[in-house]
Amino acid sequence: MQLKENRRRRPGSDTQIAPALAAATCALLGPGTPSAVVAQEQPLPELAPWSIDTAMLYYGESDGRVQDFSLSALARKELKEDGFLTLSFALDTLTGASPSGAAPSILPQTFTRPSGEDSYTVAAGEQPLDDTFQDTRFALAANWQWPVTRLALLDVGVSFSDEYDYTHTGVNARIARDFNNRNTTLSLGAALANDTIDAVGGAPIPLAPMLGTNDLRNRQSGDQSKDVLDLLLGLTQVVNRNTVVQINYSLSSADGYLTDPYKLLSVVDPDTGLPVAGPAGAGVNLHLFESRPESRDKQSVFVLLKRNLNGNVLGASYRHMTDDWGIDSDTVDLRYRFELGGNRYLQPHLRFYSQNAADFYHTVLFAGQPVPQFATADYRLGAFDAVTIGVKFGMDTRRGELSTRLELYQQTGDPDPAARVGALAGLDLYPDLSAIIAQFSYKFGR
Amino acid sequence: MASPCEVHVAGTDRRTAEHIAAVTANEARRIERKWSRYRDDNIVHAINSAGGRPVRIDDETARMLRYADELNRLSAGRFDVTSGILRKVWRFDGSDRVPSAAAVRALLAKIGWWRVRFEPPYLTLEPGMEIDFGGIGKEYAVDRAAALVRPVHPHCLINFGGDLLALGPRDDGSPWLVGIEPVDGRGHGIVDRIELTVGALATSGDARRFLLKDGRRYGHILDPRTGWPVRGAPRSVTVAAPTCTEAGMLATIALLHGARAERFLESQNVKYWCRRGSERKAPGAD
Repeated sequence: MQLKENRRRRPGSDTQIAPALAAATCALLGPGTPSAVVAQEQPLPELAPWSIDTAMLYYGESDGRVQDFSLSALARKELKEDGFLTLSFALDTLTGASPSGAAPSILPQTFTRPSGEDSYTVAAGEQPLDDTFQDTRFALAANWQWPVTRLALLDVGVSFSDEYDYTHTGVNARIARDFNNRNTTLSLGAALANDTIDAVGGAPIPLAPMLGTNDLRNRQSGDQSKDVLDLLLGLTQVVNRNTVVQINYSLSSADGYLTDPYKLLSVVDPDTGLPVAGPAGAGVNLHLFESRPESRDKQSVFVLLKRNLNGNVLGASYRHMTDDWGIDSDTVDLRYRFELGGNRYLQPHLRFYSQNAADFYHTVLFAGQPVPQFATADYRLGAFDAVTIGVKFGMDTRRGELSTRLELYQQTGDPDPAARVGALAGLDLYPDLSAIIAQFSYKFGR
Repeated sequence: MASPCEVHVAGTDRRTAEHIAAVTANEARRIERKWSRYRDDNIVHAINSAGGRPVRIDDETARMLRYADELNRLSAGRFDVTSGILRKVWRFDGSDRVPSAAAVRALLAKIGWWRVRFEPPYLTLEPGMEIDFGGIGKEYAVDRAAALVRPVHPHCLINFGGDLLALGPRDDGSPWLVGIEPVDGRGHGIVDRIELTVGALATSGDARRFLLKDGRRYGHILDPRTGWPVRGAPRSVTVAAPTCTEAGMLATIALLHGARAERFLESQNVKYWCRRGSERKAPGAD
């Protein structure tokens, strides 16, 4: 017996002790000790396949002004959990006419085209439009997002676009970090762009007068360029089960050629409001090419509230922008998504926009008065209000999602009050603009 | 308990949730006060400072010592509540201060459950010996708190510093999702995500605690029979079991089996997740 006791094997790595341990644990913890365990590894989530968003968009301004027909596609693939590659492509075809900045007149006016090779005549009382405005633009972008830690995502990307007279290249990066049980996200982003402008006929010398055809003495040589740095600081906060708030502060700093090479300012008689003669032998009235500062710093604050109201979603946002050109703008954007059942929704959209004029906005310049260092008559830098009203309908299909959107845009602006002199008083110096936006999109995959 | 303690409660009102939190916190504090070796007013201090005299012990401590006795037997001496004094010579601070063989040998004379006279309700240690419930108290506290919360609300998860127990699933029947953080402490993504419906998960091991001398790495898992680190132990072991105490003891004993940790765990027929270096081994999770 003694011998047998001594030869009993000591518990080794292969000895099953779990049942004896369970019994001992029962004795330790007493009656009611649990005996069940259900634990399993979470299956690795399947990576989402390619999804491709495609869209066709038509933008058309009234009175034969700008029309844009655009095709775009955005492809997205999950490469690892929370790691996405996004590639996007867009092709825009622009046609129509754009206001040149020159003032209308009670007399017909002749303008030299930007190329300098030709001229056109605008009838009395008509808005001077440059009708050679047509271009094709294509844009490519790629972004790669991946988790750098369990709670932080890094996104880096490149962008490129090209059109007849304009080339853009850019890089961007953004880091987002979750805090507070993922209820708070802080993000920091930066984008750097370098754009090259190769103006038709050459970029005009700022404030040089428009000359007659085949006279390019008023042009600079070579391409122009600008650099733009954008910085963004964002905070997203889940307020409760139904509410999310986002606050962004952004800073944009542009340096270089910020002038529009095709925009003019008319010089008129300060008493009669009538055009004055251009340079001797040019055969045109006096119109100067515009001049803008070589830098622009913008700051904006954006606040977005999203709230789920019994399955419908309200989105309300406000943006205030201010820049060192003296422009302040406010935007209010409201959307309400009604769930119609059967995976269909209807989303009305209302947007209000208002801005004041840049410090150097002048509807016209007056003969005999000193020419300011910076001046523009570009309606986009004037004071105006705009309203967008629209509706979007979306539905899930067997293989993807379909949506269509129709919006109307109405812009009304105020000319510089000082411009209402003599003959100009009876003319529309800041014509209203209305546009229609129609979009059809389809997303393949989910 | 020197680590964050939390309880997740699903599907009940605020008052019940606050009650559950209070019950859990009180039980954790009670056990810590009772068995912490950093205090001088509790039973562990009385035992360790008795200088060879018998100490009368309470029922709960006696049950724990009986359990320690059983664990010592089942683990062939690898698990030993008297081994804590090895920390006097082993400080796993990443340095190269490996103790001398003589210093370790001297301490071994004060280690060994077999030297302890345990005749309930009396416990007698040889002078200079100490007991320490540090390797077991946290898991026990999880199970004790669970027993108190169970009648109140079954949809809770109690987590004391990574040793945790689900009383039942969440209120919608779905499992709790438990992420096991990587042991290297760099927070570089979760290695394993475990769906825990009911039962416990406990993890032993800490890769940050080691000594490095002459190119040799001394892990912090000490074999009380030799006084030296176990060779070839995984960096961490996580075990699933019905109770947190069982899960914790299986994980600890597995580490004490060193290079044979996986072999030990395979024989126990339990679900486990073992991590060695940068690679991960989880044959038990198949």
